[in-house]
Amino acid sequence: MKKNMALLLSTALLGVSLTACSSSNDSSNNSQESSSPETSSESPALSGDDLAFSKFPKPVDVHIGMVVDPTDKTLPEGDSVSNNQYTRYLKEKYNINVIVDWTAATGNDFKQKVSLTIASGKLPDGMVVDDRSFMTKAASSGLLYDIGELFDQYASKQVKDIMASTEGRALENASYKGKMVSLPNITVDTDGVHVMWIRKDWLDKLSLPVPKTVADLEKTAKAFIDNKLGGDKTIGIAGPSKNSFPYSTFLVSSNNMAGFDPIFGAMDAYPGYWLDNGDGTVSYGTTSENTKKTLALLADWYKKGLIDPEVGTRDNTGDPINANQTGIFFGPWWAGGYGNGDSFKNDPTANWQAYPVYSDDGKWNTHMKTTGSTYTVISKNAKPDVVKAILIMNNALVRDEATFDLSVAVGWYPLRNVMAAANETEYEYTELMKVLKGEAEPEDYNEPNSLYKLMYADAKKVRDVVKPPFDELGVSNFSTANFGDFQRLYSLLIGDRPFATTPIDKKVYSVTYNQTPTMETKWANLKKMEDETVLKIILGQAQLDSFDKFVKDWKAQGGDEITAEVAELLKK
Amino acid sequence: MRKLGHQKHYYLMLLPGMVWLVMFSIVPMFGILMAFQNYNPGMGLLKSEWVGLENFKYMFQLNDSKTVITNTLIIAVGKIVLNLIVPLVFAILLNELRNLRYKKLVQTVVYLPHFLSWVIMSTIVIGIFGYYGVVNTVFGYFGVDPQLFMADAGIFRQLIVGTDVWKEFGYNAIIYLAALTGVNPNLYEAAAIDGANRWQLIRHVTLPALTTTVVLLGVLSLGSVLNAGFDQVYNLYNPLVYSTGDILDTWVYRLGLQNLQFSLATAAGLFKSVISFVLIYISYRLAYRYADYTIF
Repeated sequence: MKKNMALLLSTALLGVSLTACSSSNDSSNNSQESSSPETSSESPALSGDDLAFSKFPKPVDVHIGMVVDPTDKTLPEGDSVSNNQYTRYLKEKYNINVIVDWTAATGNDFKQKVSLTIASGKLPDGMVVDDRSFMTKAASSGLLYDIGELFDQYASKQVKDIMASTEGRALENASYKGKMVSLPNITVDTDGVHVMWIRKDWLDKLSLPVPKTVADLEKTAKAFIDNKLGGDKTIGIAGPSKNSFPYSTFLVSSNNMAGFDPIFGAMDAYPGYWLDNGDGTVSYGTTSENTKKTLALLADWYKKGLIDPEVGTRDNTGDPINANQTGIFFGPWWAGGYGNGDSFKNDPTANWQAYPVYSDDGKWNTHMKTTGSTYTVISKNAKPDVVKAILIMNNALVRDEATFDLSVAVGWYPLRNVMAAANETEYEYTELMKVLKGEAEPEDYNEPNSLYKLMYADAKKVRDVVKPPFDELGVSNFSTANFGDFQRLYSLLIGDRPFATTPIDKKVYSVTYNQTPTMETKWANLKKMEDETVLKIILGQAQLDSFDKFVKDWKAQGGDEITAEVAELLKK
Repeated sequence: MRKLGHQKHYYLMLLPGMVWLVMFSIVPMFGILMAFQNYNPGMGLLKSEWVGLENFKYMFQLNDSKTVITNTLIIAVGKIVLNLIVPLVFAILLNELRNLRYKKLVQTVVYLPHFLSWVIMSTIVIGIFGYYGVVNTVFGYFGVDPQLFMADAGIFRQLIVGTDVWKEFGYNAIIYLAALTGVNPNLYEAAAIDGANRWQLIRHVTLPALTTTVVLLGVLSLGSVLNAGFDQVYNLYNPLVYSTGDILDTWVYRLGLQNLQFSLATAAGLFKSVISFVLIYISYRLAYRYADYTIF
């Protein structure tokens, strides 16, 4: 029997929304009744960080919805999503009981679950959503708690310092119509700076230099394939899978694994970004002439067989990278190390190195990301104690992450939403190199509540993991004995080296990283058109001329209207 | 009352089905209201703003709506037609087999795929038609360059219909095989005595005996003419084949669950349900007229 999807959808939506209607009234009453918290009377004198790390006198139940990585195997036998070292830590230290209402697998499953949860109007006390439109949808529907006041009281100094390091951008990002309705994710800037990851050991085998420009890249990829360095199915340059994107966009402006971002940058093209033309007007990067040129280049490479033949249809780009069939891929600093761990397990000599791709005149151009793209949202119906508990959970994660035993993936920490100083990785790169070279000692970094929360722990580990000589670090310098430590330090010391040591010639920010009102209805259609056109041109299924038709259609079907809205934002 | 007591166990057996129907089909009907609202999850169904037919108007303004309706119709009709013919041919062929054990074996093997979900089947299909799949490997022996079948909008619909028929024909043949067991053997004997050969037996005895079944199944499947198979398409498509492979159900999914346009998605779903309802009604009338089949 074939399921009627419409019925299914309305079933799900309606079934829950009916219960939501009836229950939302009840629970809003509840929250009003209980809005004079008992804790404040019982622990009157606390303030500042004492309050930020205070233990509740009575257990507080926090209901959460949680994303889980189904491939993660680090949870010890007998532990579960709601009973593991992190939940036990929260229970012992703060008397917080984490109750997991539901879990969903990373990616589309989780998005779908969040979407249905919002549609039903019945949120768990807390969940971390991975798209700003989820946050704004929930906020505009009046489902979120205005946490501003409690945040001021309960956020730790460290959290506030990190917020401050973004000069207000993080607060703005976490707010809807001037009210702080979520805890923002603050990630390092380098998450949005995409670099070229290349097999240095393959280059050495062929005595080739590190490619600098797109022309060099083409030759290198060809040499990799001709010499079958990854076997018969050698992939010169990896590309996006069917679930990822050819380039990051203003809405998803960071962490684009295996896109073509550095190629676009080298061609001075910034597709997916709203560009300030400098004369009071804005334009959408995808529609530019340079984007068209880059697409022509990529199409040419695809035709020559340099790019993964299955680009755009593959389930997961990581597979051929981890199977060591791929010579070059693009991604942020963590893409090598954290991102391709199995590659090192399968071949301990896989010497992945990270470099920028330069334009023909030797410039390094890159687009820059927004402060963070995930949000801890708290239900409007949560009791104040629960909100405080969630704030304390966040404080605790930021302060104590470095002290946790990371052999259990930190992703199991309930409501984990990364908060890091924007320049944390560059700072760590520089300081860790000092520690390696003996210019500094790990104890120099023993500062409680430092803005750079992981620095001390990393400094203590680095000499065990990385062996001399230190002038040109490669995979042979690293010990993989503790694989988690290896991955982190590899990403930091190799992956972040370009951003930490090479000045960027042109940093491009998007005029906005959020949706404008018209986008709410029209963007899905425009985006679909864009995705289709770009992929078809790269794969040679559409002529390059179809780009011009796309630009025309894009403008006519709402693009012009949206461009005008974005231009308005520029004036403010 | 005595009668009811006598049939008590039947009603008891009916109960779970009724509960299921109420919970999952009757109660959710209220969700249809969403299609006429600018639905706000915070306010719920009762308090959201009413917008009349606004969502429907907007839906038909979108270029996508025409594409997905066309795709849905082509794929669904293709499936209906082939899912009638292929199992029929298969059932007749199987019926001609004299080796009973072999017949049973074939029947079992071909209907196995029916029990696998498309999540699993899609991996198998990609394994066959993918860039490094079986088909391309065989092509390779003949010096043909590998093709990207899964990304080729020109053949995506054929692929969808073909793989669906392949998955279901064994199972669909069961009804025909059942009908075939009901044919009076005397007819075959009489025809054989009159000198009919095997082909003539099929043509003049088997096929006429199956006509009613074919008509009935064909007519009843009209109701699913807008069901092109969400789980199959969702697991096999990608942006490159949207132009020929995107169907109403996948479109509703992307609108509603990925882009949070709840009301628009409900409107599209309702549109589909209304058309399906009309078609089911028509098919019911036709079934009565041509096959003398009634439910009520």
